Order: sequence, then structure tokens, then C-alpha cells
Amino acid sequence: MQGHSLKRRLLVLALSTVVVVWVGASTFIYFDAREEFDEVLDAHLAQDAALLSAQAAHELDELETDHAPLLHKYARRVAFQIWEGGKILRMHSANTTQRHLADIENGFSDSVIDGHRWRVFSAWDETGQFLIHVAERADVREELARDIAGNLLEPLLFSLPLLALLLWVAVARGLRPLDKLAAELERRDPETLTPLDAEAVPREVLPLIERLNRLFTRIDSTFQRERRFTADAAHELRTPVAGIKAQAQVARGATGAAERNHALDNAILGCDRAAHLIEQLLTLARVDALDVAAAQSCGLRDIAAREIAVIAPVALGKGVHIELPEGDDVAVRGNPELLRILTRNLIDNAVRHTPSGTTVRVAVVQREGLVSLSVCDNGSGISEQEMSRVSERFYRPAGTQASGSGLGLSIVRRIAEVHGAAVHFSRADNARGLCVAVTFRP
Amino acid sequence: MRVLVVEDDALLGDAIQAGLKQAGYAVDWMKDGVAADHALGTEAYAAVVLDLGLPRLSGLEVLQRLRSRNSSMPVLILTARDTVNDRIKGLDAGADDYLLKPFDMGELAARLRALIRRASGKVDLLLQVAGVKLDPAAHRVICREQSVDLSPKEFAVLHALLLSAGKVLSRAQLEEQLYAWGEEVESNAVEVHIHHLRRKLFPELIETIRGVGYLIPVDKAD
Repeated sequence: MQGHSLKRRLLVLALSTVVVVWVGASTFIYFDAREEFDEVLDAHLAQDAALLSAQAAHELDELETDHAPLLHKYARRVAFQIWEGGKILRMHSANTTQRHLADIENGFSDSVIDGHRWRVFSAWDETGQFLIHVAERADVREELARDIAGNLLEPLLFSLPLLALLLWVAVARGLRPLDKLAAELERRDPETLTPLDAEAVPREVLPLIERLNRLFTRIDSTFQRERRFTADAAHELRTPVAGIKAQAQVARGATGAAERNHALDNAILGCDRAAHLIEQLLTLARVDALDVAAAQSCGLRDIAAREIAVIAPVALGKGVHIELPEGDDVAVRGNPELLRILTRNLIDNAVRHTPSGTTVRVAVVQREGLVSLSVCDNGSGISEQEMSRVSERFYRPAGTQASGSGLGLSIVRRIAEVHGAAVHFSRADNARGLCVAVTFRP
Repeated sequence: MRVLVVEDDALLGDAIQAGLKQAGYAVDWMKDGVAADHALGTEAYAAVVLDLGLPRLSGLEVLQRLRSRNSSMPVLILTARDTVNDRIKGLDAGADDYLLKPFDMGELAARLRALIRRASGKVDLLLQVAGVKLDPAAHRVICREQSVDLSPKEFAVLHALLLSAGKVLSRAQLEEQLYAWGEEVESNAVEVHIHHLRRKLFPELIETIRGVGYLIPVDKAD
């Protein structure tokens, strides 16, 4: 369902509320009026009966029977009978029959005569000689009450369209801040991610605006991170390509074989490094796309041993030894392929940045329910400030001599993230070198 | 001509150094911003090739420090950052030219020539004094309508003297232009080059100001 109008909804609600309240009030007044009429008119009937009985005693003597004339348009709806001794009809109004108007002889009663409902008051006169019935058509009362209620409802009927118009204007005015907000959002360049002004909006919309602003901020930071990453990646990819091209051109312009070979060797080295960088970028892109790693039980020590076996020859060529103390395998839940990449990057990073003649220590330990994989070197280490930055993409500590993509620890951190693991950097035990520990929760 | 190359990437820096050497420059290569700043504070270079993303001190910072010392040394920024904003920032910080990686060695050398030529106030592509024509791009010298064969160092000495024709250059200044840091400077090398130049061209071209240095006088026709 698209776009049900808030204005129409408010208008319909307001109008129906008015109608319901008004009709309710009229109904109440109708019933209330009827009750009041009943009492007042009953009192009249009783009084009329008293009047008749006072007269009957001395005036009816001369009459055989008599029809009282009808003197008013409502007179047909009012009737009376005077029965002598309750048996002989001595006087009655023109609109009554020869039958008693009521079956009882004292008090109020309702009876149906000629298809009409009548309200009757019956009483004996003081002498006990005449039975008097005074009656009134019941529909008179109903008509009166209905007239009063009708008078109340009529203006509603006429004023409803006007009321609707006024309400429409009021609702439109009341919702103007919303319209303004909608217009502002519509005018917005989709690229604009600055927060909306939360000062000017109504309180009801504030949570919405705050949510939107939070979303804007989040998208903005994601965009900026992406943009920075793209710029960094461009920079990191262009540099090795520039190096390869320049080396090739130097080789072409070289005058001696030694100079040419040096340049060509460097060009080939540049290709290897570019390939490594591209590999790392692709790995990072793949890991970035993951939210959670498909989990299965992985032997962390086993993974570390396999990766060390792969890197060890290169490391030994550099004069770096890698150690993995004996111990039981410890299992963590995770994606074995990703954990392999994480382990390889950690060890590779340590080997790359460790000078010849040093040792890289890899350890897998289980302590207090936590499993941690740590890789420590006794190289030159990095400063505290650098520790907080080393896992940033493309960050390389100042004076880094070794070649690298600057992505290894970013990949480690990202893989740790998807495994819900924490990465911790610290100085190695001998206060030199760097320790990187990845701690997995069971 | 001695130039400074500031580039933190080992392979690229090595290539620029080698390539510019092939183009006849003496090249100093610094791998971080602090070292570059230090070198710029102590040495006079004909031009600087500056990378922006440097460890320890950014390229822009190095450039700003250089300009704050009132140096008009030509600076060419060599970077992989390609947004218009980056280029504007670089040029506004005082760079004279901007070249994007990956680049062509030939173009880099040509741009450096252009920067050095402009810095010397010369408009003509060829440096001409007293019938001697030097073409920095082609690395060629013509004297009295005859092409003359010069060694790279001889060419560099002549180039430097022609660029500051009418001004005296000391032996130390010439040495500075000829040799990069760490390069072995043979004693009396400058004298030997001057001697060869006089022999290959003509003796009166270069005058010796005893105890001060050498100069190529601006001829009356210029």
C-alpha cells in the first residue's frame, strides 16, 4: 500500500469523533427529554383529572352524556371520560369510544385504542361517584423528544462540510513541519550525508530524524572508509607498477650488462611484489564481504604447524628460525581456510620484519576457556603509538625496510572480527620485538 | 646537474635514481621525509623529485618547510594520488609540477629539464653562448656548427656554467652539481673536466677567476 495520507487520516478521525460525540449527545438528550416529558405530562394528566373531578360533582347532573368539543389541533390527542359509578359514561371528549380508556381505576397506565398508544390517568372523584380517565396519545411525547434531538442534529448536518474544510486547513497547517522536512529530504542530493537539523523539527519526528542522522553518519563513515581504501589501494598499486615500468626503462637505456641486469632483476622483483599485493587485496576484499565465518571445528595448532612448514624455508633463507612448542592440538570454531590465511599472515609478518639471526615463536594455548594463537618475534619491535595503527590498511611503521603490502595485519584483524576473536599487540617478553595474540572465545 | 629524489619505495627509488643518472643527472636518493628535509636544508639541488606518501614526514610537509626557507628550488611531485584535490593541494603547497605514477622515465627527465630551464630564467630550449649551443634534451653540444663529443661529467659542467652564464661558479659548487652523495669525488676532477672542455671547444670559452672559480662570460651579442 503506497502513501496513505496522514492528513486524510487525521481529518477522518477528527470528523468521526465530532459526529460520534454529537450524535451521542443528541441521543442522550432525546432519552433524557423523554423522561422529563413523561414526568411533566403525567403531572399534567393528574392535574387535569383533579380539575375534571372537581367540576364533575356539580356540573354533570344536568347532562345525559356529552361530547366535549375539540378546541385545539392537539385536542384529538388528548381525551377524557367521566363514568358515573364506573358504569355510565357521563361525559367524554369527542375522540373517545364507549369503552373505558383504561382497565384500572387508579393511577397511570398505558393502553392501546384504535391502534394508538395512550397514556391514561385514572382516578375517582372525591365523592367516589365518578370514575375519571384522562388520556393523552403517547406519540406526542415521542414527537416532542424527537423534535428536540432533531434540532440538535440538524446544525451538525449543515456544519459538517464547513467543519471538514476548517479541519483540513488546520491539519495541513499542523503538518507543515512534516511537509518541510519531506521537501528538504527531496531536495537533498543523494550524495549529501550531512545530518538533518534536529533543532527545528517537532518532538514527534525527532526520533525519526535522530535515527536518520545516525544512519547518515554511519553511511558517511563507510563511504569515507571505502574512498580512503580505494585511494590507498590505487596508491599502493600504482607505486609497484611505476617501479616496474621505470626499471624496465632503465634497463632499455642501460649501457652496460651489469646495469641492465640489475634493472631487470628489480623489475622482476617488482612484479613479485605487485602480485603479492594484489593477492592480499583480493584476500581482504573477500574477507570484507563476509559477515560471519562458516563455523566448523578447526585444530589451531595443526593449522599453525602446516603454515610454518610452508614459510620455514623462506625464513631460514633469511636466517630467521620459527618455533612451535610441543603441545596438544586446540580446537576453535571457525572457517579453516580463513584461519589458515590469518595464521600465515601473522607468521609471514613476523618473518618479514625480523632481522636475520632471530627467532619467531608461535604458540597456541588454552587458558581459562580462551584459546589464543600468539606470534612473537625478537626483532626491533614497534612503539606503543604504532601498535594502535599497525592493523590499519596500508599502514607501515616508519623506517620499515622490509617489503610488504601493508595489509597483512588488516587481514588478520578482519578475519579475527568475523570469528569474534580479539587481536592484541604487545611487546615481546624480552621487551624487544612484537607479540601479536589472537584470542578466540570458545 | 644534481637532483634530489625522495621516494620511499625501494624499487621505484632505485629505478628513478638509475634513470636520471642515465639522463646525465647526479642523483641523491632519500627514503623518508626527515632525511629529505635535512638534505634540502644543507645542499643546493637543481631540482627535487618528491613523493607525497613518505614515512616520518609527509611530502607536503617537506615541501612546505622548503618553501618556508624561501627556497625557489624547482619541485616536481611524483605521486600515485590522482584526485584533482590532491593535485591542487600539491601545487598550492609550492610544487612546480605534478607527475602521476606510473610515469615515463623520459617524461620525468624532460619535465625536470623544463623546470631547471625555467628556474634559470632561460626561455630558449638551447643554451647558447659564444657560438656554443647546448641541447639539454638531446644531450648534445654544437660548437661552430660542429657536433662535439663530451663525457657525461663534462656535459654537466658545461651545462651548469651555461645555465649561470655571466656568474662565477666555485669549484665546490661545480662538484656539488656533479656528484651525488656517497659518490667518490676525485681531487682536481673539476679542473680536469674544464681542461677537456677548453680543448674540445675553444680555450677562451671558460675563464678562470683565480681562487674563486670559473665562468662563461655572456658575449656581447646576447
